[in-house]
Amino acid sequence: MSGWLTIAKWEFFRSKLKFDLRSLFFLSLFIVLLIAASYAAAQTGMNMNNDIYRVSVTDPNLKPILEIDQRFDVIIVDVYTASNLFKEDTDVVIISPNVYFANTRKSASASDAIKSTLKDYRELVLTSYNDINNTHPVWLTVHYLERPESFQVLSGERSARPGAEGRLPSSDLSPEDIEAAAKGGISGATTVQPVQTPPKTIEEFSQLNRRTLFEIQKIATPSHFSPPIPFTAILYSFLFIFPIYFVSQFYSSSIMDERTNKKCELVLVAPLRSVDIVIGKTLPYLITTMAILAVVTINIKGLPTNLDILKSILLILATMFPIVFLFFALSFFSAILSRSFKELTFAMVFLSVVVSGYLFFPAMFANVHAISTISPMTLIVQLIEGNSIKTAEYIFSTLPFYFVGLSVYGFGTYIFREEDLFTQKPIIEKMLDSIELYLLGPFGSIFLLSIIFIPFVYMAQLMLIVMLFNLPLPYSLLAMMLSSALVEELVKSIGIFTLFKRKMIPLTLKNAVKLAVISGAGFFVGEKLLFIITLAPIATSVFGSVMSMGALLFIPLVIHITGVMIVSLGMYARSVRWYLLLVVFASILHALYNLYILRGVMFG
Amino acid sequence: MAKQKITPRIVLLIAKKEYREVLHERTFILAILIQLFIASFSTFLVIGLTSFYDPTALKNMDNEGTRIAIVGNNESELYQMIQDSEITPFWYANFANAYTAFYDRKVDAILLIPDAPPEGTDLLNIDIYLPKSDLKATLVSLQLKEPLEKFEQSVRDIRTKRLSDYTPLDLTFRETLSRASSTYFEFVYVALLPLLVFTPAFISGGLVVDFITEEFERKTIDLLLVSPISMLDVVSGKVLLAATIAPVQAFAWMLLLMLNRIPINNVASILLLVLIISFILVLASSIISVMFRERGLAQLFYSLVLIFLFMVSYLFTNSPLNLVTRLSIQSIGTVESVLWIGIYSFIALLLYWLLVRVVGSRYNNI
Repeated sequence: MSGWLTIAKWEFFRSKLKFDLRSLFFLSLFIVLLIAASYAAAQTGMNMNNDIYRVSVTDPNLKPILEIDQRFDVIIVDVYTASNLFKEDTDVVIISPNVYFANTRKSASASDAIKSTLKDYRELVLTSYNDINNTHPVWLTVHYLERPESFQVLSGERSARPGAEGRLPSSDLSPEDIEAAAKGGISGATTVQPVQTPPKTIEEFSQLNRRTLFEIQKIATPSHFSPPIPFTAILYSFLFIFPIYFVSQFYSSSIMDERTNKKCELVLVAPLRSVDIVIGKTLPYLITTMAILAVVTINIKGLPTNLDILKSILLILATMFPIVFLFFALSFFSAILSRSFKELTFAMVFLSVVVSGYLFFPAMFANVHAISTISPMTLIVQLIEGNSIKTAEYIFSTLPFYFVGLSVYGFGTYIFREEDLFTQKPIIEKMLDSIELYLLGPFGSIFLLSIIFIPFVYMAQLMLIVMLFNLPLPYSLLAMMLSSALVEELVKSIGIFTLFKRKMIPLTLKNAVKLAVISGAGFFVGEKLLFIITLAPIATSVFGSVMSMGALLFIPLVIHITGVMIVSLGMYARSVRWYLLLVVFASILHALYNLYILRGVMFG
Repeated sequence: MAKQKITPRIVLLIAKKEYREVLHERTFILAILIQLFIASFSTFLVIGLTSFYDPTALKNMDNEGTRIAIVGNNESELYQMIQDSEITPFWYANFANAYTAFYDRKVDAILLIPDAPPEGTDLLNIDIYLPKSDLKATLVSLQLKEPLEKFEQSVRDIRTKRLSDYTPLDLTFRETLSRASSTYFEFVYVALLPLLVFTPAFISGGLVVDFITEEFERKTIDLLLVSPISMLDVVSGKVLLAATIAPVQAFAWMLLLMLNRIPINNVASILLLVLIISFILVLASSIISVMFRERGLAQLFYSLVLIFLFMVSYLFTNSPLNLVTRLSIQSIGTVESVLWIGIYSFIALLLYWLLVRVVGSRYNNI
């Protein structure tokens, strides 16, 4: 009945047994060593830049001052040697009170480093005076104000700025009022921040400078004023992603394990559906990962003492779940496809890097560009910072993960059978197997297949946007158009290719035309569905319009069908071996059409 | 049975076999792709960092300069200093007007300048209003820092005279043509270069785990061992291949960096160091694999060891990462570098000896 439960229990206890006493001993030993080393490293200030600059000084008093900074390797010389040293490999020569440096990049950056070290030293000396009015006379109080984002930057239109009119404050408002209004009015947050004032004594002052990396500086002297750190998103993301990497290693290992030496054969002959086996094998790992992530989250957010914290912890976990799910789906599929452990490792690393890229690149633009909401990591950053997220945002960034994860699991489950698990078939053949089995199944149809592939296309195209973001604008659009057309033509025709190649359906003219129309129409319907659900947030950007091509209805349908038709008729006229060439040809045509539609954006 | 003798011919044979397999499975291409991806990630970071930490670089892109609103005395010293900097200040009579401009994105920050004179005894408090969660906030702060520090210095020049026996340390910097920010320079040579050249070595360590555990899990090792091939031959062959492919990739990275006009000194010594370190990592991970025989477990332990070594290398000067930096910018003498490369070679030899012991204790008495 509940076969998956049996498998799950079995998997859970078996994988626990892998950790015998000896491995547990070594595991705890390594972890203790790791913690000790991290602690020691944290004490040193985590620097890798020891002794990278060489400085010669004539004044022996300067040596201890400069060596506060581990970057300098200081030697004391007399004036005569110092003036000759210039040619030697010393980067900076200080013949008090003059600092000389050579005309090289290294020398210049050494002198820049000296400047900042001297500044630190000055602060150190002044702080020792305990007379704050005279030593630290200038103070900065930093306030952060909300204002509407300029997300339209890329689309070239700057006019439509929602809410800009009609809510300008009248002239008799004080800064405090506006700050309060801006906080309450736009973000909806009602947190009252304690008013910070400059410290009265040096003790308070040194307290101020002891802040953690993520704490936002509110008050500082100009010398201690440090700009808000960008990219904090990346640092957070790593905390969440690492546990997933580790557990998915074990997961894929376990799947691979079933395949080597045909260990899984006994389970396969048991009266269990392959779905049950897959669920049973996956569940323990999924639960373990979510548990680890829950611990990480509680570490960041603190124990759930009130409802708000509990809510944001649950939201973070709800946002992480689709990511874990997709990671696992990909590891499952690559464990089934790969022929050896090496191949699996590389496939895993490759996929992890790509998925992480998808998560990290857009998250770097958190709060800068609407594109950043592609990545669920952006939502996590928002949640950690104490903001709330909208349901639409959640759906927008996680739905593709759910869909792609589910269909990858679906295709993987189809080929979870002896012929594919225990043989050394080429990867492409196994992929075609899974499509063939899908098409033979109860819901199999070319129309649905096109729709199923839509989320893949969507994720691939978003990934392309992110990757091509670095290129200058006209080129990035061109590359984007060609590659996204390629992805689309490929998925539209892969089902037809499978049908003809595996001789599931006779290769006649009638079939070729019929299938092309069905597949193209399916893709069109799927694309419009997707557009309605998710694309609205970035549809205003140029990149968005490459993907959706606006609200035109009839022409895209014709284009989609024409693309498949070229491939399908080509296969009829020649043979299925021409498939790839035909796909490339159809993509070029498709891209040319896109170029024509977007000519306005491209050429002014 | 004297099975633990090592036969160089067989070691090479095993290495060749693994080499062919790696190429055959196109895994190597995937590995290169991964590294390319990481590299594009780092160039992205480099670009990001230069623009963030070196506002002078941005000045070329953005001729207008950042615009900020100033409320308060527009004849004060601070106003002058800001006007002389890269920032374009606009004076507003009151905060509300400034806020309107801020809201409409005409300016990116608001500064409230205090009226108190620098000669007084009170603290001078400047209020800065920055756009919340916006990259602009970082940019503006960076550009404001310089004039604000200048202002602080000028106030201090007046007030520190009241302190007893305080003499500021005065050094004059002779300006030359080249001006470089140390942040960018250090990012390239301290973070980017060492990570790029050692990534292949990290990957090799993981690769050898697969090489070895696969033989155990597929039980092919039993077949090998009944032939006149010793376990040590098999493991050494795998170690040899995995360790030697790392410097080849590292060399490709350095070429790429040099093409990007990032000069690197002592390329040969760096490659030698990469080779030695990749031997250390590969030997460590093959000891782990022989001990645990299970892929998931061995990969986990290898990752833990890797992170441990990474942490340890923060602790002392001339750790492998630091040594690469110092070699690449010629900040280390010949004697010192030879000494440290010698130390690492000794560690590699020690690990090899340990591997021989571990393999010996497990396979000598079958």
